[in-house]
Amino acid sequence: MIVAEHLVKEFRLTERKPGLAGSLATLFTREHRVVRAVDGVSFTIPAGAKTAYIGANGAGKSTTIKMLTGIMTPTSGRCLVRGIEPYRHRQANARGIGVVFGQRSQLWWDLSVPDSFRILRRVYDIPDAVYRRNLALYRELLDIDALGTTPVRQLSLGQRMRAEIAASLLHDPAVVFWDEPTIGLDMVLKDAVRQLVNRVHAELGTTVVLTSHDIADIAAICDSALVVDRGRVVHQGSIRDLLRTADRRSVVFDHRGRPDPGPVRAEIERGLPGVSASSAEDGRIRVDYPADRFTSRQVLGFLLDRFDLADCYAPEPDLEDVLRRIYGGHREAPSTGVPSTGVPGGGEEGVA
Amino acid sequence: MSGPLRPETHGPLRRVRENPTPLSPAARARRYLPFATGGLQSLLQYRSTFLTTGITAAAGAAITVFLWRAVYADAPPGGGPGGFTSESITTYLLVAQVLQILHANRVDDEVAAEVYRGDVAVMLVRPVSYPVMRFFACLPVVAANAVLVGVPVLVLFALLVPLTTPRPVDVVLFAVSTALSVLLAFLVNLLTGMTGFVTTNTWGVRMVKQSVVAFFAGQLVPLALMPGPLSALASALPFRGMVDGPLTLLLGRYDGVAGAADVLARQIGWAAGLTLLAGVLWRASLSRLEVLGG
Repeated sequence: MIVAEHLVKEFRLTERKPGLAGSLATLFTREHRVVRAVDGVSFTIPAGAKTAYIGANGAGKSTTIKMLTGIMTPTSGRCLVRGIEPYRHRQANARGIGVVFGQRSQLWWDLSVPDSFRILRRVYDIPDAVYRRNLALYRELLDIDALGTTPVRQLSLGQRMRAEIAASLLHDPAVVFWDEPTIGLDMVLKDAVRQLVNRVHAELGTTVVLTSHDIADIAAICDSALVVDRGRVVHQGSIRDLLRTADRRSVVFDHRGRPDPGPVRAEIERGLPGVSASSAEDGRIRVDYPADRFTSRQVLGFLLDRFDLADCYAPEPDLEDVLRRIYGGHREAPSTGVPSTGVPGGGEEGVA
Repeated sequence: MSGPLRPETHGPLRRVRENPTPLSPAARARRYLPFATGGLQSLLQYRSTFLTTGITAAAGAAITVFLWRAVYADAPPGGGPGGFTSESITTYLLVAQVLQILHANRVDDEVAAEVYRGDVAVMLVRPVSYPVMRFFACLPVVAANAVLVGVPVLVLFALLVPLTTPRPVDVVLFAVSTALSVLLAFLVNLLTGMTGFVTTNTWGVRMVKQSVVAFFAGQLVPLALMPGPLSALASALPFRGMVDGPLTLLLGRYDGVAGAADVLARQIGWAAGLTLLAGVLWRASLSRLEVLGG
């Protein structure tokens, strides 16, 4: 469905020297610096996948999306979306894709949302049945009617994003590229957007490519992840596989009677080499262990043998922690001492 | 808010359409029409703009008209410099002013701003050609300027000063030529806006363009009154077809059918040439488009 082969995009930036003297100097001599935003990225995204395109700021996410949507031409390499090279056949590609750029509006600034939709309906030749069905869907999930006849320029960010998201799906695209789609949305609307995309995906088989800094979005919408760091793909696979790359996992427990946690922590750290124990804010104790040396079963066994546990669980590795480790170039993530909230949801191996 | 799609409201989502068939030119044009209607809707929100444009245009016309009427006050009945009479020079300059209003299509402004800010990226996500879309979007601006500013200014001055009454055939030729001049103005402004790809000072470029067009189109001074070499240069440029061309036809200052055909042929030639140029430059600009950040 979507293929990238050794995709490279370089930008030429003018080097500006600092200060006024530097600015004057750039009038006469210009030094250019070539920045490689995307560095030989190759990947395949199968049809119908919901893929999170993950990377730190400046990792080349938006640039890659712009090449996949046909806005920019790669410096070298190529990419294919539904068998089309987007930058060569931009209009043909555009018929089959839907795009949201969280940072830029693609609605008509001076028109109301319904007027914008009427234009899109004609531009994409959307059949009446599809148009009515999709509007009904947006009414139900996004409460799109509440936006009324206000011109887009007067909408709040959250209201505008709702309209942008609806606009990107209006023509039943085979692929949607969402670049930061949930900025400015409150929890209820975020949830509605997730429901919408999951429903459209389930019933139309839409391929979804999402970039987001909101880990909860990624976890709730996507089933696979493509992690890019400094222009290169560092992980591709399911979210579950990504979580398995966690090198540290943890077990959290509650001690019956709540004795002084100091000696308890010391005993754990003595008994299990390489493990660190810390007090969580709610009085529980969190045990972090290296995943390559222990299993959660071993850690749990150790704890059950020695302490009188009231409650004990091993949360899923935190996606945020895993990503922080990848972004940080495999440096140890700073320990926050806050118990993992198990953002990926479900699957907590609980022991009562 | 939640729950599976209830069949009684609407059935399960199903793909209705795949692989759209190639479109006829008429169907293609229809796809761009919403940009024109949408443009009109946006425009109507800013009514006061037309009042300001109207006042500015009327004031500008008043200055030129009364200045040139003074110059031609003592012209012999057969015609003064350049073969103009007091009435025909007044008509020339007044209609030139109205043509300038028709050419103020804002395309240079909008294209430059979108290229400069990078918003052009968002436009490229749609399955339409950006320059063609811009053309359709500027049509309501031109039409509104014509109806709300051009016609009132013309009527006002027709009541104040004596004008030449053109022959009906010349009015028809003028109408055709004016349509071509509107196309030329669009292309010139599109190219001006596209300088945003190479410079951030599009304001300066636009100022220069405005002066060059005003002078070489014959809007400030009719080409017939320019010294020989300057007039020859103006004739060789595309801008002549924007003001001097239509007015040559309106005032009947041409030599038979061949003369009229020559004016129109030059306009068509330049329109075709500039379309080609804009198309080539647009493609070249897109391939090196760099939109950084969000």
